[in-house]
Amino acid sequence: MAVKGILEAIARFIEKEHILSCKEDLICYSSDATYHNAMPDVVVIPEEKREIIQVLRFANSERIPVTPRGAGTGLSGGALPVRGGIVLATTRLNRIIDIDESNLYAVVEPGVITASLHSEVEQRGLFYPPDPSSLRVCTIGGNLGHSAGGPRGLKYGITRNYVMGLEVVLPQGKIINTGARTVKSVSGYDLTRLMTGSEGTLGVITKALLRLIPKPEASMTFMAFFDSISLAADAVVGIIKKGILPTSLEFMDGTTIKAIIQYKSIELPEDADAALLIEVDGFESEVKRQAALLMDVLHGSGARGIHSAKDKTEMEDMWNARRMALPALSRIRPSTILEDATVPRHQVPIMVRAIQGLSIKYDIPIGIFGHAGDGNLHPTILTDVHDKDEMEKVDKVIEEIFEIALSLGGTLTGEHGIGVSKARFLKKEIGEEGIRLMRAIRNIFDPNGIMNPGKIC
Amino acid sequence: MKRLDSLLPPERVSLFEEDTLCYSFDATGIEERPMAVARPISTDEVSTIMSYAYERDIPIVPRGAGTGMSGGSVPLNNSIVLSFERMNNLIDIDASNLIAVVEPGVINGHFQRDLEALELFYPPDPASMDFCTLGGNVAENAGGPRALKYGVTRDYVLGLEIVMPDGKIALIGTKTQKGVVGYDLTRLVVGSEGTLAAITKIFLRLLPMPRAVITLLAVFDSVDASARAVSKIIASSIIPRTLEFMDRESIKAVEAFKPTGLPTTAEAVLLIEVDGSPKAIKEDTDRIASICIAHKADIQVADEPSARQRLWEARRAISPALYRISPTKINEDIVVPRSKIPEMLAYLRRLSEDLNIRIVNFGHAGDGNIHVNIMTDRENAEEFKRAGDARRKIFEAALKFGGTISGEHGVGITKAPFIPMEMHPASLGMMKAIKRLFDPKGLMNPGKIFEG
Repeated sequence: MAVKGILEAIARFIEKEHILSCKEDLICYSSDATYHNAMPDVVVIPEEKREIIQVLRFANSERIPVTPRGAGTGLSGGALPVRGGIVLATTRLNRIIDIDESNLYAVVEPGVITASLHSEVEQRGLFYPPDPSSLRVCTIGGNLGHSAGGPRGLKYGITRNYVMGLEVVLPQGKIINTGARTVKSVSGYDLTRLMTGSEGTLGVITKALLRLIPKPEASMTFMAFFDSISLAADAVVGIIKKGILPTSLEFMDGTTIKAIIQYKSIELPEDADAALLIEVDGFESEVKRQAALLMDVLHGSGARGIHSAKDKTEMEDMWNARRMALPALSRIRPSTILEDATVPRHQVPIMVRAIQGLSIKYDIPIGIFGHAGDGNLHPTILTDVHDKDEMEKVDKVIEEIFEIALSLGGTLTGEHGIGVSKARFLKKEIGEEGIRLMRAIRNIFDPNGIMNPGKIC
Repeated sequence: MKRLDSLLPPERVSLFEEDTLCYSFDATGIEERPMAVARPISTDEVSTIMSYAYERDIPIVPRGAGTGMSGGSVPLNNSIVLSFERMNNLIDIDASNLIAVVEPGVINGHFQRDLEALELFYPPDPASMDFCTLGGNVAENAGGPRALKYGVTRDYVLGLEIVMPDGKIALIGTKTQKGVVGYDLTRLVVGSEGTLAAITKIFLRLLPMPRAVITLLAVFDSVDASARAVSKIIASSIIPRTLEFMDRESIKAVEAFKPTGLPTTAEAVLLIEVDGSPKAIKEDTDRIASICIAHKADIQVADEPSARQRLWEARRAISPALYRISPTKINEDIVVPRSKIPEMLAYLRRLSEDLNIRIVNFGHAGDGNIHVNIMTDRENAEEFKRAGDARRKIFEAALKFGGTISGEHGVGITKAPFIPMEMHPASLGMMKAIKRLFDPKGLMNPGKIFEG
């Protein structure tokens, strides 16, 4: 169907100001946080569920691709309309419908920004743990689409651990409600978690029931620097062995540390080879005890420059340094390609050294940071996507990173999803049978193949 | 034609009645004879049996210890029971990665004890933990008292090795703490009650062992006061690891079966457990105690393992005790949002009076999961009909309160007719399509979850 036809048709059921079709507007919806681009034909930003149902019904009958989109901060291309068609941004469905303090859940629309949900629930003494680094911008809908993680994933788990139920519009325009307003529910197959992490390929999430927990009474944040990655990795294993499960256990390598220093003259030791950012939370007395144990481990592991945040400002500063890792690295070269390989925790040093080896072998700078506590690393390749020769090498680097991760018992993606960037590697991890099952599941929900085509499988 | 009993050594496969009899029932009392029992020792043997059955269109029913409460492991349709009792190896406990790899036949309680020695912790603790297997727990997505704080089995499964109905072996999920590789097939299989594939290996997430535990027993003279105390505890931002409820009928049944010293005049008791650092849980215990006292409860506190154990004995004895008070027990497993517990319990009391039928309630009050037991006699047709009416009304009430008809026992045979009450036809249609996709011949545990 020609663009003009699509526009005319959807104008019949969607408010005019909710439709974008001029090039300047479309460009804004053609990219995400990867280096890929794809232009949509039309962008729809509905305000009501009714509009979503109608768009899907129409698109399904005309077989027009629909790509759901939150804030477009994804790192695997999930929100890119690679086959054109309609981008369905859910950003206007942004109400927090209910925060139920006695039953500890929140009912939200997909366009709610993660940080707004955090502040709303925290004002009530409650806590929603998932904290992707883009939390000030990204939406709950996008988080659900990718089962987003974040530093607190180590202690608290990821988005899928906090979804109790979903309202989903299927491609045919039917609405299903999955899960229940209760933490426990085993009625039939787990469609809730099938939807969570399905990257917009099965339906459009229009409402989510999210589990909340009481806010931890206290927390403490530490930063420690090391002369070698092995020392830092030993410290990570030592901490867990002590029976401490920190909220976060973040890692940055020397390249990342230097980039941060250059980006925002933060006082970090320039010659350090590795840094750990560690946070513990819980009851005040427990936090103090864990802090003391943590200090023992850090001293014993040969860390130098161990800092503990004295107040909230210092805590924020430490986290800002960590959250700056990606923006800081991205200034060094024209393009950054961020990967998401995850390995068993004890394999982190081997993985880091292997990636550093690849950086030397192919002569391409790679900064490494990530969630060391759960083995989730973000090797960030610094390159120029317009340099064809170099991109060939980059492709090899990516392929080798995945091969190493899988050989160490790891996975392609810990929290960013498969999207377009990792689709070609999927078979390596899940095998023929896995791919067959996933394709067939997709076909059940979306027989016409309109939902976010070109993603996952 | 190859014979089934030539596929495995004779001690691991049997067609004889004296062997198959032992595999014909579960804790529901529903009974049906399988055509054969296979007790494989490896994934390859599982695959061999399943491909044999697939070629001949013979149904397969995977089975753990047969302690299920919804008929999930009862072999309908003249099936081969695939018993995992011999695949009970603890393959690996990786303390530095907090991951365990187990075979499905490992008994939950044995696993817990092995972990404790290493100061590690696996929270899911169904009441049958001394017998039930981890494979059965995964298949039913089992919960248990500690689910209040720690979640259910699905929150601890990282990945699975499964055998598809045609005998193909597949690995799903990851061996890492995080992983979002495509659709979440792992959680699709968790809780699927053996209707999609057989589970042959399980990768589990572990936690460090909590440093200390305190158990409190609070005795109330009204159900309503106990229910209000539950709401108050949760509302004051304390998440105990367990918050168990027993009503007067359950207390009486337990005391008659195995006296543990509970006052039979009490209307309700709460069994509350907190864990964490010694200092923090002391504070929690004090707060919980004063909330209970404000609701006119008598309190006992235990921090020694043996004393704690004694308090738990009564709770774990309920289910067996109830089998003694009437010939037939219809065991339900509803969940309501926890703030609705007082209303739900009041409703159950009225219903019991209106229909003149004995209803005994206990369960996990903290997460709203009430085990409602309708005490009746299958032989008494008139009463049994009233019991059936009560059952439907209980489900309706649970759904009206925003809850669910199955919290942790699964759907199996017993709840299959009621699934359409909770599930929108579109959702049910999706589930049936998923079932067909995994199991196009309909051989995996037929007659479960979906009726007909």
